[in-house]
Amino acid sequence: MNNTISLTLLHLAFCFTLVSFTPISALELHGTGANMVETTCQKTPFYNLCVSALKSDPRSSGADVAGLAQIGTDKLKAKATATLRQITALLKVAKDPELKMALRDCADYYNAIVKYDIPVAVEAVTKGDPKFGVEGATDAANEADACGRGFKNQPKFPIYASNKVVHDLSAVVASIVQLLL
Amino acid sequence: MVDTRPFLPVSSHAGSDPTGPSENRRKPMKLQLSILFVLLTVGFFAALLTSNNGSDNGFVKENEHGSLASPSSEKQLRPVSRGPAVGVSEKSNRLFAKDNENQLAYPWNNSMLSWQRTAFHFQPEKNWMNDPNGPLFYKGWYHFFYQYNPHAAVWGDIVWGHAVSKDLIHWLHLPLAMVADQWYDKNGVWTGSATILPDGKVVMLYTGSTTENVQVQNLAYPADHSDPLLINWVKYSGNPVLVPPPGILDKDFRDPTTAWLTSEGKWRITIGSKINKTGIALVYDTKDFINYELLDGILHAVPGTGMWECVDFFPVSKTEENGLDTSVNGPSVKHVVKASLDDDRHDYYSIGTYHEKNGTWIPDEPKIDVGIGLRYDYGIYYAAKTFYDQNKNRRVLWGWIGESDSEAADMQKGWASVQSIPRTILFDKKTGTHLLQWPVEEIESLRLKSYEFNQVKVQAGSVVPLDVGPATQLDIIAEFEIDNEALEKTTGSNVTFSCSSSGGTVERGALGPLGLLVLADDSLSEQTPVYFYIAKGSDGKLKTFFCNDQSRSSVASDVNKQIYGNLVPVLEGEKLSLRVLVDHSIVESFAQGGRTVITSRVYPTKAIYGAAKLFLFNNATEASVSASLRIWQMNSAFIRPYPNDKESQ
Repeated sequence: MNNTISLTLLHLAFCFTLVSFTPISALELHGTGANMVETTCQKTPFYNLCVSALKSDPRSSGADVAGLAQIGTDKLKAKATATLRQITALLKVAKDPELKMALRDCADYYNAIVKYDIPVAVEAVTKGDPKFGVEGATDAANEADACGRGFKNQPKFPIYASNKVVHDLSAVVASIVQLLL
Repeated sequence: MVDTRPFLPVSSHAGSDPTGPSENRRKPMKLQLSILFVLLTVGFFAALLTSNNGSDNGFVKENEHGSLASPSSEKQLRPVSRGPAVGVSEKSNRLFAKDNENQLAYPWNNSMLSWQRTAFHFQPEKNWMNDPNGPLFYKGWYHFFYQYNPHAAVWGDIVWGHAVSKDLIHWLHLPLAMVADQWYDKNGVWTGSATILPDGKVVMLYTGSTTENVQVQNLAYPADHSDPLLINWVKYSGNPVLVPPPGILDKDFRDPTTAWLTSEGKWRITIGSKINKTGIALVYDTKDFINYELLDGILHAVPGTGMWECVDFFPVSKTEENGLDTSVNGPSVKHVVKASLDDDRHDYYSIGTYHEKNGTWIPDEPKIDVGIGLRYDYGIYYAAKTFYDQNKNRRVLWGWIGESDSEAADMQKGWASVQSIPRTILFDKKTGTHLLQWPVEEIESLRLKSYEFNQVKVQAGSVVPLDVGPATQLDIIAEFEIDNEALEKTTGSNVTFSCSSSGGTVERGALGPLGLLVLADDSLSEQTPVYFYIAKGSDGKLKTFFCNDQSRSSVASDVNKQIYGNLVPVLEGEKLSLRVLVDHSIVESFAQGGRTVITSRVYPTKAIYGAAKLFLFNNATEASVSASLRIWQMNSAFIRPYPNDKESQ
């Protein structure tokens, strides 16, 4: 009995220790000071994603909201570009015609995101007409949303995870840019 | 390589079993270790709990269970909603219908998309347009400049487009007036206004976004004042003439107005800005448009309204039916302050008194101050700007009408945005609180065949087709009389009504909705109602609302489905009056002579070309209505490049 309890406790302890060292709680362990990243991310719909995205860029320490918005759009651009590459690669090997169609639609949506939405957001934030930045980022979220809906009746959604990140990150960027209005 | 893992909380490694049977032999050591670990974990757990905020639990669950379409994930995939309070319109114009989660973006084809291009509204041949700039009348021509992206159907790389017209309707495109070729406007040749000097010369003040992304004001003037087409422009060599003053941020300083004369003979302009969340208008005096003096005070400020873009300031006559030069002042004159609010993408105006000596302005009714009261237009309408038309002694208003379809469709069709038909602005003597807007009379030159309908009775709950032939280019003038009995007998209630939160035309009231169905197909599967809704309060008083319902304007899911509209004052003895301009994908509607105006963009998939029809409708439960209408087919304005090889775009 004693052994079982000890084993369980040790087991739990190990789990909690591991969980504690995830990015989220690691941040919280550093204290609850008015950190620009945290306070900004609290105003976005995906706090954890926002924090980990921004903090993964060293420029985020000491950045103001406009700076964070720029970091966010850079991250979004990287994710969207990578997802587009993923889609293109999948298209080359896809055999199922319905899957191909859904992927082609997503390629169109992602072309729009990378070629138009993100540059508009970047330009708007750098030059100081943020309303267009909110629009660009929201458009990107909607394009990702549309891509996802194309897979609703598909058995597999191979780019589910990356598409969701692009969508959620777009929503995060839109919220941050909104703060600049 | 895409690795999304850094953005995901690491799933718990529950399942790893670190301990083994060998541990059993060292009981005392193990007990100490256990206690130590327990203390540590309690400490960590406590830290986690106390500082955990708003984590995406739904996100983690999805990852663990691998579900593709759990309800929580669908909810999270909605477009981001914004707007600080209930009733503030969505800034992003992507409001999909609530039951459209299963639908894809609509497969627009070229036939549907090319139908959307307007026949008599100003728009460039392709690409993106936004704010109207520097409108003026000069040497026989009306000039119109505009924010333009020469490269794409989205905002960016902004320069000044240019077009001229003899009558504000038939426009001819000219070469770009100004491009981003100086360090002080390299990142944007933004909005500005023209001032005509007493000797007839023109000066233009505009905002430039510098290579360092600072917003500054620049001076430009025609290269050749004897050129009526004002094709070439020169930028003053000493630009910028104004930089953000102390206390104003580099990116909160734009859109200078037309100048007006002070009693000291100086020129005065105002520029919108903000301090924290208070929208303000700065005032500068100048003698030469080169050196400026910032006034100590500001023209006006309204807390909570955010950045004031495209500020406009102009006089209106309390007594005369004509416009006034921007410098006019006097006892029978009121002044209007207008601002485009960045925060909600709407244009607001307020009527008040200008105090010349200290350059301030006070609203007549603080409750409807700038940004919290009346709007020029309750639909999609922004960055509006007026100018004094000395040719016909009127004040004319331009307004930018953006798209409310999906951006993907804009890119597919290769263009985005139109301008409203220019409107005259007059002080509404009858209410004393509103301005009246009305399409310039020159639009009547487009009228072709007319149809007249007299006293058409529309019973409660019915629809009456109006046979006018093709119904995509129309000018409609209508009057409605509601039967008095219903008006008097209906019981009032305390329920408040608003167009935007109502159920649209399917929500039946005793005295409304009733009006017109434009761009509707025969089966009414697509329809755009432009209508009145009368609400009777428990005190017996009638309130009339004027609305535009887009919820069924198209079966496509990726277009705006909102219901626009507002209260419209209807005075004793007035019939309900309506004017509607239908021009393919734009509908401009004016109630009570232009007291309340709504512009909307409509993107039908079926109610296009010959299939678009016009109907009268009355979906009230008690009132019957009698309608009299005059309807004209409208010709195209044939807007095209200026007919001269060298000078056309």
